Amino acid sequence: MLEISGLSHAYGKHQALADVTLNVAPREIIAILGANGAGKSTLLKAIAGLIRPRAGAVIRFDGSDIAQLLPHQIVERGIALVPEGRGVFGDLTVAENLQLGAYPARARDGEDARLAHVLALFPRLTERMGQAVRTMSGGEQQMVAIGRALMSRPQLLMLDEPSLGLSPLLSREVFRALKTIRGDGVGILMVEQNARASLDIADRVYLIEQGRNAGDGAASEMKSNADIQRAYLGQSREPATSKSK
Amino acid sequence: MLLFDILLPGLVLGGMYALIALGLTLQYGVARIMNLSYGESLVAAAFGTLSLYSGLKLSPLLALVLAIPAAALLNWLLYRLLLQRLIRRSKDRGAQEVDSILVTFGVLFVIQGVMLVAFGGQYYSYSYLSIPVTVLGSTLAVNRLVALAFAALIGTAVYLALTRTRLGTAVRAVAVDPNAAQLVGIDVGQLAGLAFAFGGGLVAAGGVLVSMFLTFNASMGVVFTMKALVVVIMGGVGNVMGALVAGLLLGVVETAVARLVDPGLTLAATFALFLAVLLIRPTGLFGKAAS
Repeated sequence: MLEISGLSHAYGKHQALADVTLNVAPREIIAILGANGAGKSTLLKAIAGLIRPRAGAVIRFDGSDIAQLLPHQIVERGIALVPEGRGVFGDLTVAENLQLGAYPARARDGEDARLAHVLALFPRLTERMGQAVRTMSGGEQQMVAIGRALMSRPQLLMLDEPSLGLSPLLSREVFRALKTIRGDGVGILMVEQNARASLDIADRVYLIEQGRNAGDGAASEMKSNADIQRAYLGQSREPATSKSK
Repeated sequence: MLLFDILLPGLVLGGMYALIALGLTLQYGVARIMNLSYGESLVAAAFGTLSLYSGLKLSPLLALVLAIPAAALLNWLLYRLLLQRLIRRSKDRGAQEVDSILVTFGVLFVIQGVMLVAFGGQYYSYSYLSIPVTVLGSTLAVNRLVALAFAALIGTAVYLALTRTRLGTAVRAVAVDPNAAQLVGIDVGQLAGLAFAFGGGLVAAGGVLVSMFLTFNASMGVVFTMKALVVVIMGGVGNVMGALVAGLLLGVVETAVARLVDPGLTLAATFALFLAVLLIRPTGLFGKAAS
């Protein structure tokens, strides 16, 4: 569904992405792991059209190249991004945020049914429809952000750090929702600092280090890989020595 | 009765302020252009109305119908041909504001210069529906009531369009967060151009209505720019309801000071009210709390 190759981007002299390759199949959950500053967010922004990739990059979605499209045109093709920090409209109400999610022409048909679906996914938004989003908790704002993205009828949902700043309970709720969303036929590409939780729901994982591909594979294999465990799951290679700390 | 002698003319004046502040909210709050030639557009619309009325005997109300689309078109062209290029090259919001101030400062002198050549520096007014009527014990001219009625009509229509339609909600979304607006599929550049054009249409409507009961000259545009800016900041930048309420409030306070203290102190009253609001609520009456 999404095929990326040769994707590079530099912020001034800092090479944020170098020749990145990545694929997402329909209904697949892909997690991107990597250290802070490895270029994970830049990768999502490049796909969403928020930054221009360097010439030569290929970003194909459903068979057509979207590398040169503007952000609003990419939403229209069926890719929705929930950015880091959520990007909700704080001064507007929940209902208005969700209504704006259905702003693209592709999303106008069946808007009411999709709204009912989003509210079934996040029931606590139902009673908050008239509330200004900035007065809500971080977890509720994240639900609004994901709900708003779903209102655009995406084929691919991208999330940048969806559990950042959320309580463990709310994080679990968000991850559970992501599984349901995949069950509805939406592919998911996410960047997540909670490696354990993302490995639990992901099908495949890409490792990004210093803007480059540093490996990929099935999430189940990654979970048992010693290097991955040490780097991302906070486990020491030799558990016996951990006592000395 | 003194209360109504202040309240009615105050509301008429405030209605004008609210209308032109609404336009500036669209231009500054949504399109992010600090338009210094804003008041000049208003005065140009007033002169246009005068010319149509005294030259062709066309009713100012007909001028209103003509002025809104004509001004919207001119403002859209200004945005597309000049301002959008600036926005593309400026790195951040601050740079964009400085650039737009410089460019619209130039536009101010162009419009003002053309008006000075055509009409000279003297004051103008015309007599349209200046029939006295008595409302609630206070006497005022019919033209003021007509102006207030149209300001209320246009203001209400714009408010409803901005709060009750998807396009209006999208316009407010651009005001709140242009980056996030792109992510819900809004073509921010196009919508900002539309908001700028429509803001220009509103200030032209304000010019037509003001010309029905105020005397004006070619160089007084800056007063309207300043008052519109004061009202927008007082109401909370980008807030539609704030602009309406702050506009009405300013009109009533100015009229009260002119009537009870001294007409020469209206500008002082404007800024006293402005400072008082900003001291108590730095983000404006309806502005979001600083986070």
